[in-house]
Amino acid sequence: MTYKDALEREELRDVIDLSLWAGQLLLQHGAEAERVEETVHRLGTALGCDWLDVLVSPNAIIATTSSGPEFRTKVRRVVGMRVDMTVVSAVNRLSRRVESGELNRFQARAELVRISSMPPHYNRWLTVGLVGLACASFSRLFGGDWAVFAVTFAASATAMFVRQELARRHVNQLLTVIATAFAAGLIASSAAVFRWSETPQTALSAAVLLLVPGVPLINAAEDMIKGHMVVGLVRGATGVLVSLAIALGLLLAMTLAGVRGL
Amino acid sequence: MNTPDLFSLALADALWSALAALGFAVLFNVPVRTLPGCMACGALGHMLRTLLAAQGVSVELASLVGATAVGFVGTAFARRWETPAMVFTVSGAIPLVPGVFAFRAMLGVINLISAPDVQAGMAALYETGVNAARTGLILGALAVGIAAPTLLFHRHRPVV
Repeated sequence: MTYKDALEREELRDVIDLSLWAGQLLLQHGAEAERVEETVHRLGTALGCDWLDVLVSPNAIIATTSSGPEFRTKVRRVVGMRVDMTVVSAVNRLSRRVESGELNRFQARAELVRISSMPPHYNRWLTVGLVGLACASFSRLFGGDWAVFAVTFAASATAMFVRQELARRHVNQLLTVIATAFAAGLIASSAAVFRWSETPQTALSAAVLLLVPGVPLINAAEDMIKGHMVVGLVRGATGVLVSLAIALGLLLAMTLAGVRGL
Repeated sequence: MNTPDLFSLALADALWSALAALGFAVLFNVPVRTLPGCMACGALGHMLRTLLAAQGVSVELASLVGATAVGFVGTAFARRWETPAMVFTVSGAIPLVPGVFAFRAMLGVINLISAPDVQAGMAALYETGVNAARTGLILGALAVGIAAPTLLFHRHRPVV
């Protein structure tokens, strides 16, 4: 191990703050636990600490930085989850630049401020259109015809809009999922109600796919494979709960429209 | 199935799964320059699964093969575009996520509680069990597949 000068207590405070900030950004935007733990550790040691002990839990990160005789411990709460791969990618690059010595503490802080306030790349209407197209494509993969394709597009694009509006008003996550699945199911039912297609059920199963918690579920399995059992279990439970909420919203819509079977 | 049929099936499948991956990549706000890579991963994984399933391979095993391909290609793309592999692998794995099986399992639970007699209840229970098991197995296969490059080749002494 290379010799490092012991950090002042104030410097130690800054280092732990920056490392946890990076970890929080990763955990909040859909990174797996292993990556969070490694990034916090690497950032901290690259910024001059001898060692960091990091504990990643589903909704908090705890870290202890040590340098010479001094150590400091801090807990950072992490709430709310929105998948954002640009943030994950940017924090990853930041960690590498700090490690290579390109950025110091102050530049790293400026970079974290920039990452935290980045606007999304895609405007909301583009997202609505492409998410609609994605679900409509799924209906083709499930063997639906063009009538189903059109209905699915309308249903999931509308559902995406509903989801954005509810998210903006900070409605509870599960309630948002139920309402969105309900909207998607109601519009998708039209294929069955007006007999536009031979396979109207395909529209129903494809239209709600925009809500499927793919990232939490894949992350859950990956976390558990890599030994982060608690984080994996919680993410898995979140995924199951969201799936249940989708089924509930869809079933409400189907009952109201008088459509049976899936 | 003869070769031209298989070819057109693969082509259509690749097109639709690439579009599905694109929509989710945008939803996940991936960096703009990685969009083509995400679409390629989505098309590759799902096309492989469809082709294998057409040859009579089980969906679970076919998902594992598809996800492993996505994992390796995503890792290669990650080097090329200097971004974490998960940007590509998560978008690429989305078309493989067993959404329909998961719903059938959930609807099975609802059918179970509203079953009029024991026979209908047993049928609902069977429906739930089979679909839940498939969902779990496919998800596990996806995770193992996309983590395969790290698990096999990027082993290093843990830093923490």
